Amino acid sequence: MAELRRILHVEDDPSIQAVTKLALEAVGGYEVLSCSSGAQALEEVEAFAPDFILLDVMMPGMDGPQTLLRLRERIDLERIPVTFMTAKVQPSEIEHLRKLGARDVIVKPFDPMQLAEQIRSIWLSGRY
Amino acid sequence: MESPQQSTTPMPSTAQPRELSRLAALLRYEILDTPEDSAFDDFTALAAQMCDTPIALISLVDDRRQWFKSRVGLDVSETSREISFCTYTIAGDEIFEVPDTLQDPRFCNNPLVLGDPQIRFYAGTPLTSPDGYNLGTLCVIDRQPRRLSAEQRETLERLGRQVIRLFEQHLLAHRHAEQAALQQAILDSASSAVLVTRPDGVVTSVNPTAERLLGYSEQALVGHPLTAALFRPEALQRRALLLSSELQMPVEADFSVLTAPLHRGRRDMSEWRLRHQNGNEVPVLLGVTAIHDEQEHLRGYLVNAYDLAYQEQLQLRLQQIAAQVPGMLFQFHWRADGPACFPYVSEGVEQIYGLSPAQLASSFAPIVGRVHGPDRSALLLSIRQAARELTPWHSEHRVEHPHKGLIWVEARATPLQQVDGSVLWHGFVTDITARKAEQLELDKQQEMNRRLLEALSEAVIACDAEGNLTLFNEKAKQWHGADAESGSPEQWATRYQLFRADGMTPLQPEEIPLRRALHGEHVINHEMVLLSQGAPRYVLSNADPLFSSDGHPLGAVVVMHDITERKRIERLQREFISTVSHELRTPLTSITGALALICSNVMGEVPESMLELLDIAQQNSQRLGALIDDLLDMEKLHAGKMRFDMLEQPLQPQLELALRSNGSYAERHGVQLHLGACPAVSVTVDAMRLQQVLSNLLSNAAKFSPAGERVDLSARVSDGKVRVSVRDQGPGISDEFRARVFQKFAQADSSDSRQQGGTGLGLAISKELIEHMGGQIGFESEPGQGACFWFELPAQGQAKESP
Repeated sequence: MAELRRILHVEDDPSIQAVTKLALEAVGGYEVLSCSSGAQALEEVEAFAPDFILLDVMMPGMDGPQTLLRLRERIDLERIPVTFMTAKVQPSEIEHLRKLGARDVIVKPFDPMQLAEQIRSIWLSGRY
Repeated sequence: MESPQQSTTPMPSTAQPRELSRLAALLRYEILDTPEDSAFDDFTALAAQMCDTPIALISLVDDRRQWFKSRVGLDVSETSREISFCTYTIAGDEIFEVPDTLQDPRFCNNPLVLGDPQIRFYAGTPLTSPDGYNLGTLCVIDRQPRRLSAEQRETLERLGRQVIRLFEQHLLAHRHAEQAALQQAILDSASSAVLVTRPDGVVTSVNPTAERLLGYSEQALVGHPLTAALFRPEALQRRALLLSSELQMPVEADFSVLTAPLHRGRRDMSEWRLRHQNGNEVPVLLGVTAIHDEQEHLRGYLVNAYDLAYQEQLQLRLQQIAAQVPGMLFQFHWRADGPACFPYVSEGVEQIYGLSPAQLASSFAPIVGRVHGPDRSALLLSIRQAARELTPWHSEHRVEHPHKGLIWVEARATPLQQVDGSVLWHGFVTDITARKAEQLELDKQQEMNRRLLEALSEAVIACDAEGNLTLFNEKAKQWHGADAESGSPEQWATRYQLFRADGMTPLQPEEIPLRRALHGEHVINHEMVLLSQGAPRYVLSNADPLFSSDGHPLGAVVVMHDITERKRIERLQREFISTVSHELRTPLTSITGALALICSNVMGEVPESMLELLDIAQQNSQRLGALIDDLLDMEKLHAGKMRFDMLEQPLQPQLELALRSNGSYAERHGVQLHLGACPAVSVTVDAMRLQQVLSNLLSNAAKFSPAGERVDLSARVSDGKVRVSVRDQGPGISDEFRARVFQKFAQADSSDSRQQGGTGLGLAISKELIEHMGGQIGFESEPGQGACFWFELPAQGQAKESP
């Protein structure tokens, strides 16, 4: 089984994009590709070949769930866990997102010191 | 004179019509069976003497016998008609003579011939009444045959005519006696006193009523001049003066005062006060009639005196009663074509119209003159109408009273139609100025109230004790698009489209504020929605039962305040907060994340000098995050958008989880969290929300505890509920703050929030959450003795109560 190395992060807010990239790279030691929109992610996903995809839910244009559906058309997501990040924490919404094919949901605001560890455990949860 | 034919003359019949009239004529004289009378006996004696016979009779023949009014030489007083000789006499018009009875076949077998008195000779002349009926005979009888001479026959006929005259006199005397008796009876029984005088005024007779009324016996008055005996000279003089001028002739102050008007053809009735024998005065009404004989000669006067004492007594009684009545009593006489007047008006007319009874005795005009000008025509019209329809009359009108100014009076009367077509009214008039003023004041007040109600921006609806809607002010009509309609309170919710505050659930009848108030409840600030022309209108209702001053239920009233606009603004505010909070959260996530990364030295060693500032920045960004979370929670709770995933679960694991989650926070404050007793019960809750509440309570407790102290978390069951308590050793809740503990943004001291790092929403949210989960929240605290916050939830799984 491959090791978790490359994470594709889709987030329209540049600040969060930067903090997340920093948290994952500096704390977790992963390689992160930040995309500012779903469209950009679709363009770059094949070239980047991520092990893990982190999707913001609310984005202008194509939102998180839409991006997930389009990604699935383009690449095989069987081996690549997709996890959403959202400020909305209603249990029903989390359930909804899981049904769309998300491995898990990370609630904003996240703790940047814990984020890498959180993603690792999600990655590992899919191993069994 | 005798002829054989006579012997064949049949016995006269008694059944013929003429015979009946004859009998009636006989009876009219009322002489049959009367006692002996010497006046008649003179005639029989004379007849016997003149005819030289032993027997003479005045015989009256009725239907079955002949009865002798007078007889000479005979003992029997009557004999049967069958054997009577006189029956033959009255059948003819002249003397009937039987010279020898034994030679006459009609009488030869007659017992009076064969036996006593052995009649051999009979001669009778009929007694013929002035109207031509033969009532009987004057006859002479002898015991030997013979004949009357021509002189004797003539004498007998003359005597017969005299006897009839005597009958006539007898009858006349009888009639007179009857007449006199009748007159006396009338006089004796007359209810008025009657005194009869000679033309010169001297009393000739008085009736018993007069004796009784005046106290004199008849003997005491008869022979005395009437006026001198009974009249006071002053009164006679006054009357004489008056009459002199009225009749334009001198009248003396004596009896002529009573008779003078008669000479001018006037039959006056005049009031007098006569002297009673005991010195008192007797009020009477006198009427005088002249008595004339057949030759129109004045024979005297009949003076009639009607006793007025009883009437005066009645008058006095009426006066006394009337004096007790506020206002005036009256009797009013109305003629459609003649003058109207007041036969009676009580003294109260002075108070009402400022007039005296005398002013109204002959005219109605003075009253009309007093009635306020604008009210006159309506008053007269109402009188006319009531007189025409004979319906009870009622009028309220104003009077220009000479002393009181303008007053209001009320008049009531009942009209009675008289035989002459006029109308007699009995009624009363009262002064209602005070009542009217009150009424006007009340009207003004009511008008004021009405205007006030209409001017209100609130809708006001009231109902009576039976639930009938009685008031719908302008606003209520506007909102409901209709006026109050009849219908039971059960129908109000649908008729007026009432919903709960959510705008969707129809209001149950028992939830309607007005209905609740009708059942005695005070409803304060009940929020609900009414559909007004299709658009929802949010209202706050305050309803109260209404009672009369003596505590009787009168109904209920509801005042509805439109809060639609406020609700809209509140919603906008919440949406704004929600939007802003969401928008804030994104940059805050970056700030918090960046600070966390820096402070963790992941990006390289942070110089000591910056560490403190960075720490401040980090803590405050976290606080900002918590505030945003709380604001969003609050908004969701208010908007009803927060979902609760209620699940029955054991309580203890939840408490343990809360202890673990908040342990590190407590440690930062140097406080230790401790879990005490917890019964094995389950609660039905949304676990996440329960954790939120526990976090709030635990973090509060840790925050306010002095370092080194302990916060105790425990639970116990009581009355089917489990109470979870968080006890701290902090300063406790001050008295001023107690009431606001669960309010939004409530903090004991505005400086606290900064020092203690709270948002001020935690307890408010906790209260909402617990209540949404069917529980209650509260606290106990004495200042300086720490605080114990608790919440209760229905306990499941174990009914056994904690020790």
